[in-house]
Amino acid sequence: MLLPRLQPQLRASLASIGRAAAAGSSQGCLNEAFGQLSIRAASPVLTFVRHASHAQQGAVNKAKDGPGKRLGAKKSGEQYVIPGNIIFRQRGTHWFPGENCAMGRDHTIYATASGYVKYYKDPEKHPKRQYIGVVFERNQVLPLPRNSVRRRRLGMVATKMELPPVEETTVRTDLVLEGDASTGVTVKQTKKKERKGEEGRNLQLRPGYMYREANWEIGRAAERAKVKVREFKPRDRWTAWRKTTIRKAKNAEKKGLGRRR
Amino acid sequence: MPTCQKAARPLVRSLRDAQSSCQSVRAIRAFTSSARSNNEAAVESTRPTPVFDPATVTSIKGEKALMKSGIFPIGSRRRRAALKSSDNIPFEQLPYQCFQEARKVLQADREEKLQAIQKERLRISNLMAQDPSNISGGEKQKQIRLESMRRHLEYLKIQADINDPLIKKRFEDGEGDMNKPIYRYLADRKWRKYQRLVIVQRINQLGIVPDCLPHFEPTADVRLAFRKRSVLPGEFVDSRVSEVPARLKVQVFDKGERLVSVVVIDSDVPVVERDNFTSRCHYLATNIPLSPTQTSLPLSQATETQLVHPWMPPFAQKGSPYHRYSVFVLQQEPGKTLDPAELREKIQRDGFSLRSFVDKYHVKPIGVSIFRSLWDEGTAGVMHRAGIEGADIEFKRKKIEPLKPKQKARGWEARHSGPKYSWLRR
Repeated sequence: MLLPRLQPQLRASLASIGRAAAAGSSQGCLNEAFGQLSIRAASPVLTFVRHASHAQQGAVNKAKDGPGKRLGAKKSGEQYVIPGNIIFRQRGTHWFPGENCAMGRDHTIYATASGYVKYYKDPEKHPKRQYIGVVFERNQVLPLPRNSVRRRRLGMVATKMELPPVEETTVRTDLVLEGDASTGVTVKQTKKKERKGEEGRNLQLRPGYMYREANWEIGRAAERAKVKVREFKPRDRWTAWRKTTIRKAKNAEKKGLGRRR
Repeated sequence: MPTCQKAARPLVRSLRDAQSSCQSVRAIRAFTSSARSNNEAAVESTRPTPVFDPATVTSIKGEKALMKSGIFPIGSRRRRAALKSSDNIPFEQLPYQCFQEARKVLQADREEKLQAIQKERLRISNLMAQDPSNISGGEKQKQIRLESMRRHLEYLKIQADINDPLIKKRFEDGEGDMNKPIYRYLADRKWRKYQRLVIVQRINQLGIVPDCLPHFEPTADVRLAFRKRSVLPGEFVDSRVSEVPARLKVQVFDKGERLVSVVVIDSDVPVVERDNFTSRCHYLATNIPLSPTQTSLPLSQATETQLVHPWMPPFAQKGSPYHRYSVFVLQQEPGKTLDPAELREKIQRDGFSLRSFVDKYHVKPIGVSIFRSLWDEGTAGVMHRAGIEGADIEFKRKKIEPLKPKQKARGWEARHSGPKYSWLRR
């Protein structure tokens, strides 16, 4: 494609060379002519031609209509609903949750109280939004008048609290029988020996779901057990050395025992 | 570092002593930097206990000692450290030319504002002296003009002082005199920047506005505390903590003394018969004097002429949803007192409605503080001590009947539902 376009220019330049040669007819003239030779392009931009083609997008290729998603109202206005009932399925928020309603992860509106569905607009809350609400009585209206007391429902029944019976200690391992058949048998529980410093601990159910003391009480355990620790002195190398030797001796002794076994 | 400090300490001390002697009236300059023997001896013999200055204390130990004695250190630790090392030269003597020029500009502005204040006062007095028949619009127009002039006067008073660095410092140190308009203005601005936003948010979130009152714009700062525990707006408070009457700290930002009423309402009292909620008055006192400088308002200190309903400890029965307790401060009409004996007859605790109280007695709500309560281990004891019945009642959710009846089992399930296959069903 390029060659035929170049042809006339090449021809012209060659003609000029021929003319020069005719005039000078020497080697130097020929060189000069070659120096003058220049190929000028007809235009700097290459033009391409678009041919008719087939559209790839849009409706041309017979757009497939997927399966229906069963969106829309599941409960109509003034229909009775109970908590959890789905009222409206939608893509995006065509409807917003109003009184006693909530919105799910996929913008589904569902009821949070039992009552009657109301579809309404509340220009004071938002000028454009449309809401779905649930009222307790069928004749009630939404939206509520401005600044009026909210309608609420307890939804609870009062029952007598059943107190858990006071727990008896039912530990059977440390029981001691006293007396004989004539005097009557008494069962006494030997007091379990508590570890030193743990006497009279007040164990309560704490946030970690375990019966334990408060942290500050645990921190005071050593104090209660009257454990005396010699105060640590940073530069007391003599005590440190003594401790180290004792520890090393102990370890050596342990190792020796292990070997014998 | 400690070693070198230790080594340098006597030198530093002697230098300081020398400095102090220089500053004394008998300014004798010592040729040696070491301390004189008599000076040294005096220091060692007395050994005064360290007294911490709240403006310059930086050590944690000093801060704790101060706080124990009831004085709180001023400002941040960084600021106190800066103050400690600074020479504390007053502003007038600071050797910065640009700074002094700027001060002159501010002073000139203040003078201008003071003159404007005088002029405005004169104009007000002139207008007041005028006969309303001479003014176009008559008496009403006169009052409107007076009102707007007074507002402008207040504005000028604030503008006169607002750029004063010393006033700003005094306010930040908490030494501001609340009788002066500028400090009230600064306190109000500070309150509106955070505390008011929080309380307004709680009012909306917890539905105080449609439930207790139709409209409410708080204009006074109300801080709530039980004994030592201060309560943030909307916080859950243990029933044992709230057994005692609350302490209020009410800061009003407008001038003058006024009488207020204090109401504590529980707006979530369950009513099983009506399947609804009602409200209850837990405390009501009236005719309590309040002013910008008189902020403390302990509810337990109400006298016989003030108290209508004494403190009833907040309680929430087991299982009931949280109870909102709102402590309202209501400003009475100027110069009018309410009769507690009459109120005692007319106002019942149960079914108390703040809306009707506000309408009937023409009180204006100015501030609120909110806390919440739930059943806890101490509630039964609190109710027993207060002589309240119903500690053994537990609220349980009412069962809601499903819309569709349960379908009968079919197929495999029906075949395996008999007693023969009970082991299948756990």
